[in-house]
Amino acid sequence: MNDALDTATPSDIDPITLQVIRGSFETIAEEMAHVLYRMSFSSIIRESQDLGAGLFDAAYNTLCESESTPMHIGSIPGYLAGIEERLEDGEWHEGDVVIHNHPYHGASHAPDLAIIVPVFHEGKLVGFSGNTAHHIDIGAATPGLIIDVPDVFAEGMLLAGVKLYRRGEANQTIWNFMRRNSRTPDLLISDVEAQIASARLGARRFSELLDKYGERTVFRAADQLMDYAERIMRQRISEIPDGEYQAEGYLDDDGRNRETTLPIKVTVRVTGDEVEVDLTGSADQVPTAFNVPFEGSTKVAAFAAFRKLLLDAELAETRVPSNQGSFRPIKVTAPLGSIFNPKAPASASARFAQCNRMIDLVIKALAPVLPERVIAGSSAVLSAAAYSGVRDDGSYWVFVEINEGSYGGRPRSDGPDGIDSLMANTRNNPIEDLAMHIPMKCERYELRDDMPPGAGEFRGGLGIVKAQRVLTAGSITHESERHLEAPWGIFGGQDGAAGSCTLHNYASPGDLEALHSKFSGLSVQPDDVMTYRSPNGGGYGDPLKRTPAKVLGDVLDGFYSADHARDVYGVLLDLDAETVDGSGTEARRMEMARGV
Amino acid sequence: MARVGVDVGGTNTDFVLECEEGIFYHKLPTTLENQALGVVQGIGEICERNGISISDIEMIVHGTTTATNITIEHNGSECGMLTTEGFRDILHVARHKRPHNFSLHFDVPWQSRPLVKRRNRIPVTERIAAPSGEVEIPLDEAAVRAACALFRKRGISSVVVGFLFSFLNPIHERRARDIVVEEMPDAYVTISSDVANVMREYERFSTTAMNSYVGPKTAFYLRDLAARLQAAGISSRLRIMQSNGGISTVEACARKPVNILMSGPAGGVIGGAAEGEMAQEANVITVDIGGTSADISTIPDGRLKVKNVRDTYVAGHPVLTPMIDLVTIGAGGGSIAFVDEAGAFNVGPRSAGSNPGPACYGRGGEEPTVTDAQVVLGRLDPDHALGGALKLDADQARKAIKEKIADPLGMEVEEAALGIVRIINSNMALAIRSNSVARGVDPREFSIMPFGGAGPLHGVALAEAVSAKDVIVPVAPGITAAVGLLKTDLQYEHTEALIMPLDPGDEAAPGRIEGATELLRERLTADLDEDGIDPSLRSLTFAAECRYFGQGFELRTAVPPGEITAETVSGIIDAFHDQHELDYGYAYRDAPVELIALRGIGTAQSRRLSIPKIGKGSQGDVETAYLFTRPTTFDDGSTLDTPRYDRSKLGAEVSLKGPAILIQQNATTLVPPGYEAVTLDHGNMRIRAI
Repeated sequence: MNDALDTATPSDIDPITLQVIRGSFETIAEEMAHVLYRMSFSSIIRESQDLGAGLFDAAYNTLCESESTPMHIGSIPGYLAGIEERLEDGEWHEGDVVIHNHPYHGASHAPDLAIIVPVFHEGKLVGFSGNTAHHIDIGAATPGLIIDVPDVFAEGMLLAGVKLYRRGEANQTIWNFMRRNSRTPDLLISDVEAQIASARLGARRFSELLDKYGERTVFRAADQLMDYAERIMRQRISEIPDGEYQAEGYLDDDGRNRETTLPIKVTVRVTGDEVEVDLTGSADQVPTAFNVPFEGSTKVAAFAAFRKLLLDAELAETRVPSNQGSFRPIKVTAPLGSIFNPKAPASASARFAQCNRMIDLVIKALAPVLPERVIAGSSAVLSAAAYSGVRDDGSYWVFVEINEGSYGGRPRSDGPDGIDSLMANTRNNPIEDLAMHIPMKCERYELRDDMPPGAGEFRGGLGIVKAQRVLTAGSITHESERHLEAPWGIFGGQDGAAGSCTLHNYASPGDLEALHSKFSGLSVQPDDVMTYRSPNGGGYGDPLKRTPAKVLGDVLDGFYSADHARDVYGVLLDLDAETVDGSGTEARRMEMARGV
Repeated sequence: MARVGVDVGGTNTDFVLECEEGIFYHKLPTTLENQALGVVQGIGEICERNGISISDIEMIVHGTTTATNITIEHNGSECGMLTTEGFRDILHVARHKRPHNFSLHFDVPWQSRPLVKRRNRIPVTERIAAPSGEVEIPLDEAAVRAACALFRKRGISSVVVGFLFSFLNPIHERRARDIVVEEMPDAYVTISSDVANVMREYERFSTTAMNSYVGPKTAFYLRDLAARLQAAGISSRLRIMQSNGGISTVEACARKPVNILMSGPAGGVIGGAAEGEMAQEANVITVDIGGTSADISTIPDGRLKVKNVRDTYVAGHPVLTPMIDLVTIGAGGGSIAFVDEAGAFNVGPRSAGSNPGPACYGRGGEEPTVTDAQVVLGRLDPDHALGGALKLDADQARKAIKEKIADPLGMEVEEAALGIVRIINSNMALAIRSNSVARGVDPREFSIMPFGGAGPLHGVALAEAVSAKDVIVPVAPGITAAVGLLKTDLQYEHTEALIMPLDPGDEAAPGRIEGATELLRERLTADLDEDGIDPSLRSLTFAAECRYFGQGFELRTAVPPGEITAETVSGIIDAFHDQHELDYGYAYRDAPVELIALRGIGTAQSRRLSIPKIGKGSQGDVETAYLFTRPTTFDDGSTLDTPRYDRSKLGAEVSLKGPAILIQQNATTLVPPGYEAVTLDHGNMRIRAI
């Protein structure tokens, strides 16, 4: 660096240059994500956009990240720290491209492969450009997803600090190794190439920015943007009364031991402008893949909980930049050996539901002191289903899809229906796209109207029902949760409905087999249909306060029956005329309020 | 013979009259309750003022925001929908992705304000098999009739038909439409295979629903306008600007109003492209700056770019129709500057609009806007805005900036005002970059073309920020968009889904492509026949939308004219690899390429408005044009005594060095120190660094 520049530059970047550099960072991250999903081949990247991309400084601070799916946002610094522990050659060179996914070296989980490109400025390493993306198959024990496996070595290829390119030269050995160790080698290799194109683009844009504004100004601006995000987060935290707030829930099982539910206990400690999320009291680590990597997932989810609660993008007048600053006032504690901080060599691949439930419980814990910011219980799980089979030529087809859930009722509006919840924010795979490429056929995909959403002044959202039929023999692995405990209602609102999953053959639709929320490598026959129903959200506030016209709308829309409207909401309807019986409703509601 | 361009904006309706006597402009406040009133009145006035008989008007080209406004104001038709059983909620679930990652209180527009309510989405039994396209389960016709009875009972007369896999075989959708028309003869019906014959159910249904949602009102507006013009004795042909930059007939737009959702900004982009041609600049980036927003479009080689229909959204809903590739950002003269709770300095996207408007309008606005900053910096003269028609209050502008920005941030008022302008310029520069550099376009080879009344105040700063080569200021920046309406062709577009591997060795491939091309050719020909276009004036072009086998996004490449042969197929493949490399920086040269759809575009050239050349001037013009001198603050913070000139008095080839401000009827141009403005042949102007 230029010494004269070093001493001459004032300590603060002017607010205008700051906004200009911030805008450049954000544009670069979005451009990187855009290139990645546009180029990629597997549906989980190109349609679901299960990816993240951004720029980082040499101390692994996030300078910017794409607004892709939240589980990826904030996870890459963990990968960078993990790479440092295992980096080939022990150092970075210009032209290197590193691949990394080791869950005990900072990765979010093994299928999320990171591609990292170092950024050099005037011969010195100044930062990184990188991305993560979920890959369909990295040669794990079962195709696509894993649940019931003995340890981390069943997760497939584990890559730690491996150089795909060294000083610009491709390392053919590792490329060959990867190609031979996936059930879907073409998808894996092409999508890694797309990740590299995206990371290289980011590195080029980063260099251009450094050339234009100078290293010092760019990094000072980045520091100031982090301080800014931190300042806002601290302000918000300090508005919460100091104290200890708790909430508990439980998970169905670990995917093997069906009789044992797993507690989650969340303690939120607020002290001044800092907060701790303490997960002590949650279940011990489990012998299957149903554990959560601490650095790459537990912490990332806890940070996200507070961004959602305190820096709500819909309510805020200004957007807080997506960087490390907002995480600084938040401490995350989980005892080593627990489900949120497992010890090696436990597998920790199926970690999403636990993260989502933890966020949901942070919200519940803070409900008494933040009634206008919290919402009722959401589906707060994730359904990830992997369908697979073998074609006549011996090659595999594998399809992984993410099913959506629903939100709890909110202080001013109903919970959204059929939507990815909390940490998940992918896009669904079009039914028509599926049928054109995969021997599967979707038989049903709509809102589930078999169970009402949690009643309330603002009702919970409805989950979905999705019935997928396989046309060849094959296997299904399903990573899901919440068949037992329904999403909670709040402030007089009622609980929503738990999820469910069944299997039947298309030829005998009445013959349903109930399935657990998690299962591994279930063998299926041609025309077998898996039907998944995601949970309905809980209600917010007293159902008797719900505007009768909204209740009429819900019944006309088929969200629940006229009987339910009468029994729970106290609203009487004339369904022929499609109107509310005003006087009947008033009388009924007075009776119900008196407890009759 | 005469032609009229009518551009209806949120605030004003602009008119351009082109006739043998010359080119004339007129402006009226937009009649918000019914745009047609102002349109008819204004056409009458512009003719009368310029001594033209209305019977001399041969054609009227109209850019309208009617359809767009329905989507903004959410007051479209109550719609009924017929859809495949088991899939009632495709429109409700959409792509199941939230608008925000970090929010609990987010709005979901497609659920809170659905185009079709769930109660009116009626599932009927039917199924088309995929990928074969064969009928697997026949259509339950009785269910269709029962749904119609329900729609009638509910007073619904706008109907959407969206069945799964109709892009493979539209037979059920067409039959359902016929039944609906039988049962409800007055209904407005849209079927998905008609408006967006492509794969991906949500996007296709959304487009279809949007058509039926805006359809009845838009059709009424267009037909009513045509009738009012007739009644006023104006019997000329009425043509409507479409989102893709081509004009179409009232009837075609009434049937597919989804095609005119971007009718408003399209005229500006075309106007900018035409100005580029006039200045003999092939590469321009147009920046149309209005009160609340700026529309930005990159035009390489003088050719308008049309967006990939996968990227086209209107009011949060995907609408798969061709639209000119432009980005709109919340940055305009009315954009409000504010300091947020953590002390950051922001400008926009909230706008003061025209009421109360910027603080300097003196209509009660107290928040500082970009226009206020321009006044404080001495770039807009309070007594000369809009040719002196609008008086500005400099004290109010200064007060708002001092109280809301300068004092909280501990800055001088001028410094704060300069900050407002620099931040808004930076926001626009980033949008320009996203529409140019982000696509591999090098702005150093482009001219910035700023318009809208205040556009040329920003031109040089934007050119500097994105490293553009220079600035071209149009002849009449305030009405460039209206002029654009008279510079376009008739244009129709159709798509034919054709999903097949592209393999040069596949002997059947050329025949299949030829067959689909023939279908497109027939449809385009029918459209142009209906308009009575002479065959010699027609041009039909075709494009292939391709991707690597297994990818999810297509890129478009031109299909060479002439018979489709094995060479044509190879050519499409090579062009696709190149396009992929250009867009993403990488090509999978060994991977198989798949064709997804063919697109046909039929155009008919209309006579283009031509702007006359002005006489060659002399350096003496500068003296004649001189008005007065006032202090003006420039982006580097320097405040200089800056002469003002009447732009209309500068002849061609006259050059003028900054600092200077050029004033004309409807626009103000800033020439900073270190820059030189040269008047070009048509009275347009080039500004470049000395």
